[in-house]
Amino acid sequence: MSSKTAGTGTTKARTTKARTTKARTGIAAAALLTPFFALFTVAMIIPVGYAVYLSLFTEKQSGLGFDGPRTVFHGLGNYTAALGDEAFRDGFWVLLGYCALYIPLMVGGALVISLLLDTAMARARRFFQLALFLPHAIPGLIAALIWIYLYTPGLSPVVSAMESGGIGFDFFSSEGTLPAIVNIALWEWLGYNVVIFYASLQAVDRSLLEAATVDGAGNWRLAFAIKIPLIRSSLMLVLLFTVIGSLQLFTEPLILNRGSGSAVTSTWTPNMYAYSAAFERNDYGLAAAASVLIALVAALLSFVVTRFSNRKGARA
Amino acid sequence: MTSPTVVDPTAQLQTPNHRTGRAPVPAGRPTANRWLSKTAVNGVLLIAAVYTLFPLIWLVTAATKDAGNLLGGDVFSFEGFDLGHNLSELTSYQDGIYFQWYGNSLLYAGIGALGCSLVSVAAGYAFDKYRFRGKEKLFALVLLGVLLPSTALSLPLYLLAVETGTVNTYWSVLIPALVNPFGVYLARIFSAGYIPDEALEAARIDGAGELRAFWSIGLRMIMPGFVTIFLFQFTAIWNNFFLPLVMLSDRELYPLSLGLFNWHSNANADPTFYPMVVTGSLLAVTPLIIAFVTLQRHWKAGLTAGSVK
Amino acid sequence: MSHPWSRPIRTVVSALTALSALAALGACSGEGGQAPARGTAEDPVTLTFWAWTKGSKEVVDAFNASHDTIKVKFEEIPSGGLGGYPKIANAVKAGIAPDLLSIEYPQLSQFVSQGSLQDLSGFLTEDVKKKFLPQAVELTTLGGRNWAIPFDASPQVFYYRKDFFEKHDIAPPKTWDEFRTAAEKIKKAEPKTRIATFFPDDPTFFQAMAWQAGGQWFDTAGDSWRVDTTDPASVKAAEYWQGMIDDQLVSTASSFSPEWTGSLKQGTTVGYLGASWGAGVLSGIVTEQKGKWAAAQVPSWDAGRPASGMIGGSTFAVSKDSRKTAAAVEFALWMSTTEAGIKARIGASTSSALPAAPGLVPVARKAFDTSFFGGQDLYSLYEKAGASVDPDWLWGPSTGATNNALGDELSNVVGGSSTLRKALGTAHDATVADAKKRGLNVEDAS
Repeated sequence: MSSKTAGTGTTKARTTKARTTKARTGIAAAALLTPFFALFTVAMIIPVGYAVYLSLFTEKQSGLGFDGPRTVFHGLGNYTAALGDEAFRDGFWVLLGYCALYIPLMVGGALVISLLLDTAMARARRFFQLALFLPHAIPGLIAALIWIYLYTPGLSPVVSAMESGGIGFDFFSSEGTLPAIVNIALWEWLGYNVVIFYASLQAVDRSLLEAATVDGAGNWRLAFAIKIPLIRSSLMLVLLFTVIGSLQLFTEPLILNRGSGSAVTSTWTPNMYAYSAAFERNDYGLAAAASVLIALVAALLSFVVTRFSNRKGARA
Repeated sequence: MTSPTVVDPTAQLQTPNHRTGRAPVPAGRPTANRWLSKTAVNGVLLIAAVYTLFPLIWLVTAATKDAGNLLGGDVFSFEGFDLGHNLSELTSYQDGIYFQWYGNSLLYAGIGALGCSLVSVAAGYAFDKYRFRGKEKLFALVLLGVLLPSTALSLPLYLLAVETGTVNTYWSVLIPALVNPFGVYLARIFSAGYIPDEALEAARIDGAGELRAFWSIGLRMIMPGFVTIFLFQFTAIWNNFFLPLVMLSDRELYPLSLGLFNWHSNANADPTFYPMVVTGSLLAVTPLIIAFVTLQRHWKAGLTAGSVK
Repeated sequence: MSHPWSRPIRTVVSALTALSALAALGACSGEGGQAPARGTAEDPVTLTFWAWTKGSKEVVDAFNASHDTIKVKFEEIPSGGLGGYPKIANAVKAGIAPDLLSIEYPQLSQFVSQGSLQDLSGFLTEDVKKKFLPQAVELTTLGGRNWAIPFDASPQVFYYRKDFFEKHDIAPPKTWDEFRTAAEKIKKAEPKTRIATFFPDDPTFFQAMAWQAGGQWFDTAGDSWRVDTTDPASVKAAEYWQGMIDDQLVSTASSFSPEWTGSLKQGTTVGYLGASWGAGVLSGIVTEQKGKWAAAQVPSWDAGRPASGMIGGSTFAVSKDSRKTAAAVEFALWMSTTEAGIKARIGASTSSALPAAPGLVPVARKAFDTSFFGGQDLYSLYEKAGASVDPDWLWGPSTGATNNALGDELSNVVGGSSTLRKALGTAHDATVADAKKRGLNVEDAS
């Protein structure tokens, strides 16, 4: 697709001569942007518009319902219904708890590991990076299946090891759901973020570090006073995508909800609520309204995060 | 590392502040202490690696087991070794439909990721190298796309596919896979980092058209970024089961992920599916793992949102 | 199909069934665009069929091999609760549903009450209905009309480790009182071992308990749905099982979870309150315990009156947009009521399903190897259990909402933060709210 556009564009571009005119770059920019925005329109803008449209309607039946539903205009009724539903609101509290647990663990953990990798004492750096990164290649579905097994009391060597170590913990209980999901997400994404942090650490000017060492800075001081401030832009980037990723939380809790014994409910996160409304209760209007609300919250949150990071002078 | 040196643009800005601070800690430490910290550092790294690797080991050992030992025995062993049987089940079930799925996945992920990377790089390049009206607003629109929950899009996409008669065809899965706003975001950063404006200027002076400059110079220079976007989009398409689940009903068109999800859902009532799911999963992640191992250089370089010096 | 649904339909009176069948027949013949029942060998009627049960593809292959005027295109979908039903609902909404659908009894009412299915009363004549277990026909009849062709009946029975019960000198329980006593004895003999599992993830397990106790959660009266999940029988069942859970006399693993199967393997779960199809599943999980298991009627509240509820079980229904109703029904009846159809399915799997057509039970009996149960005649037991199923139970219009709410609450119950009695109320409220929201007439009986 792209090569075609480039081909026709080139002949056109050749007719005008070398000087960079505004029109010429305008045409080039348009030609390069068109394929993406055409697809973006088809696969995102139109569906979103459609979702907003759907969110304004509801289906009504009568009697025993044998004759099927009629679609009727519902105004903002689906929005008030979603907001008025405790299950939907609870989903956001769950997410808040999830973020409170997950984000510090993820960002802190990835930072510590990458700083350790960056010290002169670390060995086999390539191996460690790769080993930490590999879970990222595992589909969420399979990751959830693996961890369900590793959470199952009576089967899991991990649970029994924890028990014999005196820290018995039931990942399937209602207190255990949050740690259980956080752990799966951590497992999937830790290495990814370590690689990002480590690569930025590698980019830190070596002479700077040497100078600090000559000045007598130890490893701790090197890490906290020099390295971390220097990779703040990566830190903000990771933070932003971790927050957005948290809002998308879906596959792993869904698999845990079905047939594992976990106390994860069918409307545990807002996304699951939308899924359940659309696909289990066939309430498409409500599902669309819930989805629109989730997207709004996501937009708001990322706005806040980027604002926060911009003010700090970091650039992604 | 042989990858291009990646430098964080903020690094230089901050330099002076920290040089002025004098550290009170005296240089030079006892060797015993040093040995201790070395052990500690590598010990922590080792623990982290064990944490990420041992579930993968589970996948390998579990794939060798029959249903009984998988669900009852000690999975981290090779007791009840039945890999041959599991593999033959996989090949023989419904005339080897599994490998048809495998082929489909290669098709969806291969073409989808290739198309997506090209389209994203073209757009990212345009965002980086050109100035036009409403650019940042347009870019913000792209970023908003990153935020949309995929579950929110699937139902409208399905209804649209029905309207256009593309439901239950390759297109219904392939076209949405070509779009990844995050890819454009990355491509813009890569373009800034990998393609120096001087190189383009030189091409222009040589008389190359704008699109030719992109095609023969820009695209070549941004290759590590291209590979990164390709690799991550490939993984995303390969692992996505939700969109195919909504779109496809013809088994012949299924990607692996959906086929495995189907089997997993069946395993609930028929545990003989369990070994097929697990063995199938192992085979499914193998190409991804190989790709990530062999292309390490590229994605590691690509992952850093920095710039080439 | 356009039925003048404004006229009041009287309650489920079997005498009226024939009448409404005639009315439906009239409606069908008046409708244009229906394909003939069969095509010709050159131009066969081609049906699309969605199912997920193992053996479906083999049945379709067998049918296509032996028929040339009707051809079936089979498409495998994920199992119902994990994506199959949403897929069906989406396709119906989009107007591209396949002709024939495999739907389980609990979800059938929901699809019917959403107007997704065709009235098959015209095809289910008395002669056809006679071929089926009456309970199965009742479950597919709503508002006096027939909506689906039953495939299997799935009465609950009690599978248990015969060797364990004999070793500890415990008789298989006949009543729930005996069941409790047996559970206590088992726990005393082996503190880590439990008599059976209360499945918190599968609401139909608990529903089968309420059903068996004589509960009747849903019904139609005129053109209203009646919902009453808190009748005395259901409350009795809830209180009994609450006691069993509180006293830790049963385990609370999820159905077919690694936890559950693991405990079977390790011998710490020595019984399974499962449906007829459970025998095939069980023998697939713990193959090495071959010969150690036996099956008995599920315990009842009254020793003199055995009773059973059903768990799962599937039917075939025709989607409302299909123009090939007659051909679809013919194919469905072939699957459910002919020897070739049953053989093709059971031959392809190790299913211990009980055909809903009693005449075909011998075929299934012959096909299923019962050596896992020491050669016990399981099918005689299933037939007895099937006959003891309370025919009054109906499924409601909002199974998705009911069972989601119930399922979520059940995990709280086993977690200790709720009770089964409360869960009954939750299920009730969720159902009524959903039905009302959809605009259905609903009579709140409690």
